[in-house]
Amino acid sequence: MDAILQFAENRYTRLVLVGLMFLSLQTTLFNEMRPFNVCLQVMLLLAASCGLAKGSSTGAVAGFVVGLLYDFVLTTPLGLCAAVFALVAYLAGFAHSFVHESTWWSRSLVASGASAIGMILLPIAFTVTGAEGVLTLHIFVVALVVAAFNAIFSVPVEMVCRWALRDPAPER
Amino acid sequence: MLLTLTSVLLITLDLRGSSVVNGSRSLFGTLFRPIESATRVVTRPIQNTWHGITHYNDVVEENRRLRDLVAYGQGANIAAIATVREAQELLALNGLPTLAGISSCTAQVVGQSPSNFSQTVEINRGSECGIKVGMPVLNAAGMIGKITNVYNKRAVVMLLTDPAYSLSVKVVNTPPTTTTTTVPGASTDSTTTTTTTTTTTTTTVPRTTTSTIKGFTPGSTLPVTTTTNAAGVTTPPGTAGPNRPGQNTNTQITVPPGADLPLRETGALEGRGLTKSPVVRFIENQPRFGAVTIGSPVITAGGATSLAPPDIVVGTVSKVVKRTGTLGPILEVKLSADLSNLNFVRVLLYQPITERPAEP
Repeated sequence: MDAILQFAENRYTRLVLVGLMFLSLQTTLFNEMRPFNVCLQVMLLLAASCGLAKGSSTGAVAGFVVGLLYDFVLTTPLGLCAAVFALVAYLAGFAHSFVHESTWWSRSLVASGASAIGMILLPIAFTVTGAEGVLTLHIFVVALVVAAFNAIFSVPVEMVCRWALRDPAPER
Repeated sequence: MLLTLTSVLLITLDLRGSSVVNGSRSLFGTLFRPIESATRVVTRPIQNTWHGITHYNDVVEENRRLRDLVAYGQGANIAAIATVREAQELLALNGLPTLAGISSCTAQVVGQSPSNFSQTVEINRGSECGIKVGMPVLNAAGMIGKITNVYNKRAVVMLLTDPAYSLSVKVVNTPPTTTTTTVPGASTDSTTTTTTTTTTTTTTVPRTTTSTIKGFTPGSTLPVTTTTNAAGVTTPPGTAGPNRPGQNTNTQITVPPGADLPLRETGALEGRGLTKSPVVRFIENQPRFGAVTIGSPVITAGGATSLAPPDIVVGTVSKVVKRTGTLGPILEVKLSADLSNLNFVRVLLYQPITERPAEP
């Protein structure tokens, strides 16, 4: 019983559960709502927010987990989104460490920038693994729209990440 | 570093077709399905609101257009059914394969790829319906893609526009506009010129057909007639007019049946992503085939190693890019199916040889 409770209290267990919830939103709601014909990427936002919430190291691992969940529903090679999302989370955490006095808008700005980089890195990674026809000028439109959306929703998502990745409660 | 190595390892395993990766994907799909279904139900009102706001005018306009189309289609449908039935009977009589002999499974598109960079859709039928990897998928308008992943109650369809998609197709050129038949040795007034008008004009068939066999008319379609002369004497069939056996007469030559049938050339259809039309490559530049015209139909070629049975409509040629030398032209294809608006589709339970798992 203790082992189960310990497992449930693990930060990555919570992250997987939160990730599954976001993934279901990604494959249903945000799959249908396509402003400017662009599919919004809440999974990428989750990865970037993990980096913002817990720093670059923990964020990279969390981003990897989130990316791996996303990989399971895509037809692209398994591990590709995981690598890109880990890098995005790391970049978000790393960039935010340079901010002297963090504000909500500075975090939004970092999440937005990291998301844009992620949306450009993804097609490059697809091309490296053999996909063709994905490196077009359309990726800049995609990056712009996704970055704008992720800037708006980064604050609430970061709060969710902060809760999911919080340190375990001290022993009583 | 560890994360990078793990990613590289996973990508390598997946690209090499590891059964562990495929199994884990399948397991994840099974576990994730209920969560997704519940979320779909919960978020349905939000989706409807979004579509109501963003697509209202389009829907009204489309509704008006569809009413017109339905009225037009009802008339055309009757004629089309009769034509298809005749074609199937002809194919069956000649022992040729038809789509009518292939079982199919009707499914509904329940989602599309959440990625911005791959062209796939998900359907609500899977292996329980007999669907396997590689099977062709079509809708009422024509070919839309092939199955790439199959689970128990769902399957993933790779669309024709995906850069990873390639399909053997035929481009059908239409018969010539003018077929001139001349009679050797005949005077000017005995020359007969026949003009056939068709919708497109690209194919050139041999313009002169000669026969040196006495009394033989290749593909003759002359009616059996009796002739009555001025004296009231009736001449039996075959002894009057130009066809007199044993006499060296100038006869009217009819082009043999089949020469004016559409000519076909095969090539490979390749997807080029969401924003570009698919192209057909490897079309040989045969003089007999003639220049390909815009609007020529593109249909599946069939064959032992093809991904689809023959004669499924793919689309029409929308642009011809000529190349120098002996290289054939590259044809841009306008797909007949609207891939951005898919609902009900039909999976042909036809697994190509190339997609079948290797024997152990």
